[in-house]
Formats: sequence, structure tokens, C-alpha cells
Amino acid sequence: MDLTSLSNPLVTLDQLSSSSSQLDGLSTELENSIRFGGVQLTEAAGVLLRLPQEVIAQAVVIFTRFYTGPEGGSFLINPVKDVSAASLYMIAKISAIPQTPRSVLNVYAYLSLTAPKSRMDAPSDRQRPDPESHYLTTGAYLAARTTLLQTEAMILRALSFITKVVVPHHLALTFLQTLGVLPSPPTSKSRALAGRTISHLNTGLFSPQLLYLTHQPTALAVAAIYVAAKEIGVNLPCSEWWEVFDVDREELGFLVVGLGSSRLWAEQESRKWVEGKCPLTVEEIMLEMERGREVQ
Amino acid sequence: MASQSKSRWADDEGDQALSAQRKQEKEAKKRAKAEKQRKLEATGTAAPLQPSQVNGSSAHDISLNGLTEPPLKRRRLSPSPPPDAPRKLLRFFASSWGPCRHVDNFEKLNHIEEGSYGWVSRARENATGEIVALKKLKMEPVNDGFPVTGLREIQTLMACRHEGIVGLREVVMGDAMSDAELNLTIKASVFLVMDFLEHDLKTLQEDMQEPFLPSETKTLLLQLTTAVQYLHDNWILHRDLKTSNLLMNNRGQMKVADFGMARYFGDPPPKMTQLVVTLWYRGPELLLGAEKYGREVDIWSVGCIFGELLTKEPLLQGKNEVDQLSKVLQLQKMHSCSLIRIVPKIFELLGLPTEASWPGYKRLPNARSLRLPSDPRMHGSVLGGKFPYLTTAGSSLLTSLLALNPASRPTASEILAHPYFKEDPKPKSTAMFPTFPSKAGQEKRRRAASPSAPKRGEAPKIGEGAIDFGGIFAGREEEEKGAGFALKLI
Ligand SMILES: Nc1ncnc2c1ncn2[C@@H]1O[C@H](COP(=O)(O)OP(=O)(O)OP(=O)(O)O)[C@@H](O)[C@H]1O
Ligand SMILES: [Mg+2]
Repeated sequence: MDLTSLSNPLVTLDQLSSSSSQLDGLSTELENSIRFGGVQLTEAAGVLLRLPQEVIAQAVVIFTRFYTGPEGGSFLINPVKDVSAASLYMIAKISAIPQTPRSVLNVYAYLSLTAPKSRMDAPSDRQRPDPESHYLTTGAYLAARTTLLQTEAMILRALSFITKVVVPHHLALTFLQTLGVLPSPPTSKSRALAGRTISHLNTGLFSPQLLYLTHQPTALAVAAIYVAAKEIGVNLPCSEWWEVFDVDREELGFLVVGLGSSRLWAEQESRKWVEGKCPLTVEEIMLEMERGREVQ
Repeated sequence: MASQSKSRWADDEGDQALSAQRKQEKEAKKRAKAEKQRKLEATGTAAPLQPSQVNGSSAHDISLNGLTEPPLKRRRLSPSPPPDAPRKLLRFFASSWGPCRHVDNFEKLNHIEEGSYGWVSRARENATGEIVALKKLKMEPVNDGFPVTGLREIQTLMACRHEGIVGLREVVMGDAMSDAELNLTIKASVFLVMDFLEHDLKTLQEDMQEPFLPSETKTLLLQLTTAVQYLHDNWILHRDLKTSNLLMNNRGQMKVADFGMARYFGDPPPKMTQLVVTLWYRGPELLLGAEKYGREVDIWSVGCIFGELLTKEPLLQGKNEVDQLSKVLQLQKMHSCSLIRIVPKIFELLGLPTEASWPGYKRLPNARSLRLPSDPRMHGSVLGGKFPYLTTAGSSLLTSLLALNPASRPTASEILAHPYFKEDPKPKSTAMFPTFPSKAGQEKRRRAASPSAPKRGEAPKIGEGAIDFGGIFAGREEEEKGAGFALKLI
């Protein structure tokens, strides 16, 4: 297995120790919440555009990378919606299913009318609105497209054109096969195992610890399998099977905890913003910072 | 914090002033930091970002307030790196990311070549003194943002780490984009910083009196095939292999460059444009309009390059798609049929396809209207006759690379195992290659007339029942004009 082709660039210690948003006075807590809202928004838009989960996950990682580190973007300068849309647009462009600026912008126009709900209760296919039916006026569209393309350029610069994101979803399924726990035809248990594995990987995208930026896809895949197998009660080879995939016990342990707390945290965040919407625009964020200061 | 308690009673204006002030402070911090970084780079003491940072060795301390001079831990930990070291380290994007550096970190030395998608010059990195090649991406003004070809070129080349593939060190930007922090416009120049190589094979061959020796040809073909094998193993199609995209240094090492057409593919292959590969190196399936194709298109180009290395002349110089196809066909039984004079070129060389030799070719979009003679004397290759000095093994390799049916072409690994490379003369060691004066290193070079990589646009289609191929293709590309012959087959 060629591991370089399965690896991602990782966040540096400097990039973890501070961020542009924090330099702008945002608390880490609020920063995490806004990131959570932005990831949700990106997922919702990706679902409406009927993009495969792998492509959506790639866009989420680009979105997250952009706002990371003191030289990255700031939630107080670069609006979440613009960066989310441009991440999705750019990743789709180099994927097998490119999207026009028009359809991406329509979807975001639609989503700005409805507060993004948790990804877990995304509308089912039947009640899903038709993105094409929410047209922007020509003037609004042209302005939005300019912003979209400028933001795309901004992301490319901030990431020095690293557009490659390896996401662990496909990898995890391959690992499950290698471990011999995905028989064909599938059993209800093996189906559940695969489902839980993917679900944990999706939850990891929300991680306030930025797990997708700190760990390689192989490690994420192994950890998700480990957690899912525990939950479903599937016996994996009792020896240290993760070492086959070049993941050591320490890293696995860290990620298992990380994935678990991601889930808890995502649920908490979803509850936290039930009443008021999670602040995403620069104005909303400023207001929220104000409120935070008053509470103190 | 003082500023926070203040804001409790501050009015709106005061608030705005406050946030403006915060913003200014932050800008100042960032500027100071950027300034410091620039200074460090200018004195060559700091590589922009070190891979080692990932491992938490805190390579260099980006102090956030940027006012106090940070302790240069890295310098103490690893005393000045050997002169050759920065080359590797500069490829920082492999293990982490950060904003693009400015092109001003490089001093332009001379122009090398004007290509269709960008231009290339030789440059020196100020901090290290290293010579590099800068390729400026051409940004057509399009309404869908950064050109997808550019994104793919960078993405695929960045993913490649192979001795047979030109090294991309980083991507840097010109002014419009990096000026006002992240407040940018789209119209900025983007440059690929690559390892500099003295020659490309096309220019080199034009200046050589004689073709490469058989032993040298073997080495070049082996190097090319090894690189192609690496690409294909990593699910990358190059889609524009030709001699001008093969670079060579003075140590006989050849590297594949120009990933302007490259992309990732899958199994089964996705629908892709047929408008790829420069005409003379374009396989018959592409000429016939296939939208599903794979590694075989690169293998065909390898065959064309092999033929070109043997004679120093491009093998199949068609004037347009139809003419190119006819050249291939005509290689077969050239003298046995008077009709052949007006048969398009690919087939000249390799004979007409049959349902047996290339199952399914008739279902390709452009084949439907291509009515080919069923004269059995026209089936079979005359390729061998064109290369009297080629051994039987060499001839069999060439013929297999240029098989009309993509499925009959060997894979890169199969090529490497071919007996041609085992028989005498053995491949020459790269160290024994002669050195040639480098045009790229000195002066701007002229460009000999040859077709360029296809541009985006409508793929040519041969209409139902059409036989006047010349008319159909006229004007699509400059070099394809003037082919107005009527093709009457059968
Ligand atoms: N790393 C390099 N070192 C030295 N010369 C180079 C390098 N890269 C490119 N060149 C020179 O510049 C020429 C054009 O480069 P390249 O093929 O990448 O550009 P292009 O615009 O995509 O060309 P085209 O579209 O015509 O194939 C090459 O044929 C070669 O002569
Ligand atoms: Mg080229």
C-alpha cells in the first residue's frame, strides 16, 4: 500500500496554538461553536446538492483548514457562508461531479432562509426542496458569484493550493473487508458495523479537536472501526490488528476518546443553539461576543 | 480584560471603534510577524515552514505578538543545514500548509518557453540561491473561478514523488492576491516552482545531428515508462505525453512534466473529455471520440515517443483528427492499395481496424460515419518497414504500443518486462549520457511548429453519414486547417 497517496497535510503546533479568529478577540468556545455551525451548513448544502458524502467531507476539511492558525481566515473577517460555499464549490469542481456557481449559490440562498438544523435530522429525500427553485435575482446572483470566486481564490492562497483531501470513509470500508468482517452477502450485523463506522467518521468532522487536521485518514478509519465494533459487539482479530494498518495503540486510544467526545459535543452544540441560531454572519458573531461580555 | 469591561457601557460607535482598533492591532501583529518572516527568509535562516513542525519539534517559533525576537530553536537544534537540504524542506506542502509565498522570493533569470497554458522561466531563489523553473499559469478570464485545469495540474503534480517526475516545490503568487492580507482579487498570477532541468527532449532532438543511440533510446524509454507506471499506479492519467513535456538534465535523467492535462481517474473510468493529448500523440480511440478511456491513451503516446526517439522525427504528423487517423491506418500495406493515398493517416501506419482486432470500435461516436474498406490487404501493420534498424523485439514492442485496440496495448509494467530491454545493446547508464548545451539555461528558445495541447471547447464530431472530414474540422484549431480533402472509402 502506498501510504503517501493516502496521507494528508497535518496542522502544525503553531496553527493549533492560536487562530486568526482568536487574534480578533473570539473566545475558543465561541470559535468552536461557529465552526460547528459552519460544518453543519456545509453538510446541509452538500446534501441538497446531492453530493456524495466523501465530497462533502472533503469540503468540510477545506473549510476547517482555512480557519485554522494565525495565518488562516477569521470568522470575523471571512463570512462562514462564503467560505463554506467556496469550499464546496472548489472541491466539487475537481471531483467527478462539478457544480455550477448558480446551483451552489441557489442552495446557500435557500439555506439562509432556513436555520441549518442538525445534520442528523436532515430532510429526507421526499421533502427535500428543489435547489433550483430558489433563484437569486440576476443582480444578487452576479454579486454572490463574485464573492464566491474571490473566496475560492482566498482559500487557495491560504492553503497554498493544497486541494487534496483524503477522507477515511472508503478506506474504512476497505479495512473492514481486509479484516474479514464484511461478508457478502452482508448480514444485518455487518451492515450495522459498516454503518456505525461511517457514522463515527462523519461525527469526527465536527470535532472541536480538529481530528481530521491532526490525524491521518488511516488512523481515523481504524479508530472508527474500533469504536463501531465495540458498540455492535463484533469480534475483531484479538491481536493488535490496528498495527497492520500502521496505527499504534497510543494514537488509537487518543482517537477513540476523541471520536466519543465529538459525538457528545455535537449533541451538546445542537441543543445549545436550539433557541437562538448559531451565529454565523460577522454581525451575528459580533453581537454574540457582546452578549458574552455582558454575561461575564 | 480592560477592553471587555469597557464595552459594557460603550455605545455603538465606541464599539465599532473598539473592533476597528482590535482589527488594527491584529493587522499590526500580523504585519510584524510577516515582516520578521521575510527578514528571516531574506537572510536564508528560516525555511518557510518545516515538515518537522508536524512532529511537534517546534521548528521555529512563530511568536504571536511578533514583537519580541523569538528564540530560533531550530537553528540551535540543527546547525546550519547542508547546502542541498532546503530543496527537500521547501516542499512543505507535503506535510502541512500555510499561505502561499510571494513570487518576489525568486529572481527571474531568463525566459524558457512559451507554452499554451503558461510560460516558463528560469529563476533563482533569493534565500537559497537555488535555480528553479517558474511556470506561470495562464488564467483565462472565466466565470467559474480558478481554472480546473490549473487545480488539477497542481493537485496531481503535488501528489507525485518520483525520480521520473519533475519536482514541484511550492506554489507562489504575484501581487494582486497576496497584497492586502486575505483581502484579494481573483486576478493574481500563480506560479509553480519546479526543479529546473536543462533540456526538454523536443528541443534537444531538434539540435542533435543524429538520433539518440539505441542504448540511450532504451534508457529514455525505460525512464519514461517507469514514471508512467508510477502515475498509473496512483490513478493519475497524464494525457499529454510528448517530447516537449519530457525534461532532461545533464546527468541523463529524464522527468515527466506538464501536468496541465492530468487528472485522477477511477475504475471504471469516469466520462472524460476526448479533447486531450496533443494531436500527434493522440490515440485512435480518442480520435474516434471515446469518452471512456484509460491508461491506454498514455501508452499510445509512449509508443509515439518511442518511434520519435528512433528517428528524431515525430512519428505521426497528422494535420487534423481525420488526417491523424489516416496516418495510423496507412502504415499498413502502403503500396498495395491506391485508395490509401486519400485514407486518413493513423490508419496508414497501422492498418484498418477490424471487428476482430478491435472489438467495439464501430460503436465509438466518430466511427459510425467512418466507412472503411473491407479489403483484407489493408489489414496489418507496416510499422516494421519504417524502422529498418529496429530489432525484431523492438519492433514487436513498438507495434504493441501502437495497437489500434486499446485493450491490446501493454501496461507500463508489461513494457518494462519486454525482452527489448534485455537484448544488446543494453540500456546505457544515465551517468554515461553525453551532456548537451542547455538552451533553457541561456536564452529564450524558438518554438518549432507543432500542434499544441488541445484547448477547451467543443469536441469534434463526425456527423451522421458525413464523409467530408476536412470540412467538419476546419477552423477548430490553427494547425488543423487546410485539410479539405474529401474522404471516399469503399
Ligand atoms: N522544470 C522545468 N525546467 C526546465 N524547463 C522547463 C521546466 N518545465 C517546463 N520547462 C520548459 O517549458 C516548456 C513548457 O512547459 P510546460 O509544458 O509545462 O508548459 P505548457 O504551457 O503546459 O506547455 P504546452 O501546453 O505547450 O504543452 C517545456 O517544454 C520545457 O521546455
Ligand atoms: Mg508542455
